[in-house]
Amino acid sequence: MRYSPEGMMPFGPVHPSLKEPEYFKLILEGEKIVQVIPRIGYVHRGIERAAQERTWTKNIYLFERICGICSFHHSLSYTEGVESLYPFEVPARAKYIRVVVAELERIHSHLLWLGLVGHWAGFDTLFMWIWKDREHVLDLEEEITGNRVHKSYSAFGGVRKDLPDGIAQKVRAELGYIRKRAEYYRGLVQSEETLSVRTKGVGRISQDTARRLSPVGPLLRCTGIGRDVRAEDPYAAYDEVIPNVQTSTGGDIASLLVLRIDEVLDSCRMVEEALEKMPAGPFKASFPRVAPAGESTYHVEAPRGELFYFVKSGGGSTPERVKVRTPTMANLLTATEMLRGHTLADVPVVLTGMDPCFGCMDRVAVVDVDRAKEWSVSGEELRSYGIEYYRGRRS
Amino acid sequence: MTQGSRKKVGGALGEMFRTAIERPVTEQYPFGRKVVTERFRGKLDVDPVKCTGCSVCEVVCPAGVITMVPVGKKTVGSREVEIKRPTFDLYTCISCGQCVDDCRFGALTLSHDFELAVFDKKSLTMDKALRYAK
Repeated sequence: MRYSPEGMMPFGPVHPSLKEPEYFKLILEGEKIVQVIPRIGYVHRGIERAAQERTWTKNIYLFERICGICSFHHSLSYTEGVESLYPFEVPARAKYIRVVVAELERIHSHLLWLGLVGHWAGFDTLFMWIWKDREHVLDLEEEITGNRVHKSYSAFGGVRKDLPDGIAQKVRAELGYIRKRAEYYRGLVQSEETLSVRTKGVGRISQDTARRLSPVGPLLRCTGIGRDVRAEDPYAAYDEVIPNVQTSTGGDIASLLVLRIDEVLDSCRMVEEALEKMPAGPFKASFPRVAPAGESTYHVEAPRGELFYFVKSGGGSTPERVKVRTPTMANLLTATEMLRGHTLADVPVVLTGMDPCFGCMDRVAVVDVDRAKEWSVSGEELRSYGIEYYRGRRS
Repeated sequence: MTQGSRKKVGGALGEMFRTAIERPVTEQYPFGRKVVTERFRGKLDVDPVKCTGCSVCEVVCPAGVITMVPVGKKTVGSREVEIKRPTFDLYTCISCGQCVDDCRFGALTLSHDFELAVFDKKSLTMDKALRYAK
């Protein structure tokens, strides 16, 4: 392999048993990143192929295991995609229940991300606080669906169980708490210098770059482009419970922080609105176990952005083809652009900023071409390096 | 949206003092056991009395947990058919509850037991329906 005169840092792949592996080749000029080349494929699990061997219902549980954080959105996208092949209608109540669970999942995903940014920026107190508050949402999800993470709640024709008795009151009380906390964090992330010095102006992308590279979800909305599948192509009951698409204009990690907190607040409103408007009636219609022949493309707005499913049925007991495109795939190129021009110390925060689904870096091999030297550092060491770097700059 | 209008270090101090005197939210497991919700999907259980050996659970299980084992034969009309009962390899169970939904005899339930860490696979193999049939 030919090395350029600049330094080259291979980034990953990480240890597969710890967090999701990913590889970034960082081309450095001293401290400055001049180019980032991502390489994907380390977490190829053959799920799409496995889906062709399983029945339609079994695949719901398979697809929700693609991602632990937005598991309901995966099952929702798949079930709604398959449901569009049937000539039957899903009950209105089921659609509203889907909105409630999906928005709760968005709240917990965004809170998880906020905590992680705090952790990678060296603000572990924020991480602890936010993850403590996130537990309230996870408990609600467990109460509604039976599980905190893999909810196994969506089914063909609706949802598997109706909302428990008296849950609406409990959800409103908990969301009142979450709203209060989110408003506090909104002020904190803007005023606390510990955080703003690591996030303001870091990972900035312009609107033109965003248009060119087509990121999805908050990464696109933080540049001021208000695209949201829930508003533009409503699914479930989003045509009745209309989201206020949040945008910000900074295009950096600081604006992503505020944007995601605004989305948490809007999701709280949507859950309450869905509970208020929810009609009585059946929560599930009886759909045949074999989907009719046909093709369907379906997309939903997962917490990280547009999640796309293509389903092809030949009328048999298993799908002929299922294609999944997750938001991280669409955001990967933008993340490389976000890193360009920044220092090595910004890498953890910027990569967390895109809210990647492939986790972060547990093992990093460092190559210094000038000194013909190669060594490895752990993800934790890189995090400490970032904190020390900024501490040194301040003093 | 205005950002960074006020810059200071230690803006979180008030919250820090408030949380310092709060009761810890961490549960000291196993000394304090978590109370799970009513719908919590834990360890799968079978009622051998209610199970008829219809094999539907084996067909619908997405994780291949259930294996039907022949335990004898019976005569239905002029035909001789096998009597089957399920065995459960619970170490592969994903607690989705699909078998519980599809069991029309109400023989399967998901309990609230979540302590499934064991040293050998055998202790998570459930064959009580098999033993009951024998």
